[in-house]
Amino acid sequence: MKKLVEIRDVSKIYNPGVNEVKALNHVNLIIGEGEFVAIIGQSGSGKSTLMNMLGCLDTPTSGKYFLHGQDVSHMTDDEQSDVRNREIGFIFQGFNLIPSLTALENVELPLIYRGVGKKERAKLSMDALHHVGLGNRMTHRPNEMSGGQQQRVAIARAIAQAPPILLADEPTGNLDSGSSKEIISIIKKLYKEGRTVIIITHDPGIAAQAKRIITISDGQIVSDIMNKDYKD
Amino acid sequence: MYLEYVKSAISSIKSNKGRSFLTMLGIIIGIAAVLTVLIIGDGMKATVNGEMDSIGATTISVTLDDTKTDKGFTKEQLDLIENNISDIDGVSPGLQFGGQLMMGDKAFDAMVNGETPASGMSGQVEMIHGRFLIKSDVDEAKKVVVISQTAATKLFGYENVVGNFLEVSAYGATDEYVVVGVRKDNTLDTAYASFFEEPSFIVTMPYTSMLDLYMIDMESYVHGFTIYTDSEYKDQVLSKTRSVVENVMGLRGENAVKISSGYGFDETTNTILNIITSVVAIIAAISLLVGGIGVMNIMTVSVTERTREIGIRKSLGARTSSILTQFLAEASILTFTGGLIGLLLGLAISYLICRIIDFAFIVNPVLVVIVVLISTAIGLFFGIYPAKRAAALDPIEALRTE
Repeated sequence: MKKLVEIRDVSKIYNPGVNEVKALNHVNLIIGEGEFVAIIGQSGSGKSTLMNMLGCLDTPTSGKYFLHGQDVSHMTDDEQSDVRNREIGFIFQGFNLIPSLTALENVELPLIYRGVGKKERAKLSMDALHHVGLGNRMTHRPNEMSGGQQQRVAIARAIAQAPPILLADEPTGNLDSGSSKEIISIIKKLYKEGRTVIIITHDPGIAAQAKRIITISDGQIVSDIMNKDYKD
Repeated sequence: MYLEYVKSAISSIKSNKGRSFLTMLGIIIGIAAVLTVLIIGDGMKATVNGEMDSIGATTISVTLDDTKTDKGFTKEQLDLIENNISDIDGVSPGLQFGGQLMMGDKAFDAMVNGETPASGMSGQVEMIHGRFLIKSDVDEAKKVVVISQTAATKLFGYENVVGNFLEVSAYGATDEYVVVGVRKDNTLDTAYASFFEEPSFIVTMPYTSMLDLYMIDMESYVHGFTIYTDSEYKDQVLSKTRSVVENVMGLRGENAVKISSGYGFDETTNTILNIITSVVAIIAAISLLVGGIGVMNIMTVSVTERTREIGIRKSLGARTSSILTQFLAEASILTFTGGLIGLLLGLAISYLICRIIDFAFIVNPVLVVIVVLISTAIGLFFGIYPAKRAAALDPIEALRTE
């Protein structure tokens, strides 16, 4: 299995000095291509910091982060933007769709920033929306859709440009149980199609859906196990 | 890719129509105000200078300041001046007195003009029958007159009265003149006739003949004259006139010669008009500045409101420059559109005003282009601060904002 994510001795310290907070404390982590990982932790455990780190939204105070073999721990903002655009598909708790844009336009956004031409962009975006079962909702705006539908648009946006990693931050946190199941099954489907999926959650029920479960507490990884109960 | 930013900016402006319009309003008013002032200013200058009325022909008037000198012009001096200024049609003292035209036992009020052939070049004189005054008429003080077609019809009952005799009377003295030409009526005839209830006419005769009729001593009476020339040569003529007149009259260094061009408005008047236009335009430009600050204000609010959107865009891979471009595009499209509307509004308002106060309506295309460019530049300038703020946002912080 090829290494996709390699975190080496990464620490993140906020407010260095007397009141410093060690959000991540010498964390080591390797995630291979095609894995389905859940990172679980209570609030304040450092899981959000880890998620920001993995998503190239933040840089470590010390240690190194290799993504696809490339050291991404010390990059300029624009370099980070490019890496995010190329490597990572984000799925957020709050969907994070742009309200003034239609479903299709939202899905097209990362492709615009990558510089994909208009026709190609429309094709990829429509394919992605069909993939999540929203082929009939392309021209709807976020406020015209249910939470589950909005999250599916967000998933389509995350997969449209086929990034190596899907990074889902509490993807079902704002959804009812029916929609949650739907979203989890879509995420599982994407994993089975060969994508690497990382879910960040505080919900053991969600974490139990993944193949590998990593528990984080007080900024450290306290357990990293393969899920024996994983069901396809 | 930049087209995408423009599109996205337009959709963002559209999604907030009411606010976008109010923001634009400042620019619309500013641009319309500046444009109106400048166009009316141009129209005022053009009208004052009479450049519109008779294309080509123009006049320059020369007078001696009676507080500096008591000299007057003789015929010899006028002829000398005329011969020494090149590129002119000629000069005329342009004498005017009231008089009467006698036809049998009837008398008609008349304005008697004493002119030279040059005054026929003003663009106001169009001959129908016969001829206008010629040089020998003036040199030999011939008893000839030119009258208008209405005068001919009213006095004689028909139009082509060339060769007929007409009695002109002034202060009791009466003399007989030959009509050598009949000219078309012009605005002066209409204006003059409108002053009186009874029919009244303008007759033109050589000024030398007029001096004889009215028994006037030219040197003690004629303190000024008019130069007739083409506006093409106006500047050259203006530059030569003073020295020629001073030399001929022996008035060098006395600062006694007053020169003005156009319809009685001189260069000083023009300068004053320019200053007035500039001052009013600057005041109007301040409203444009206020409009620009309004744009900056709204864009700043917009950035704050859309912090989350900016965070989303950044998480999806938008670079700093992409965000910057998006917001600059939004600001400049807003002001560009405002500028276009302001342009149309300004053109409409200035057209109406020019119509009402009877100014020439002249639109300089360069002005139009500059106005549109400036409105766009205002968006870029006042958009920089909010756009930079947007681009500098930390994606994590921005995503956390509700």
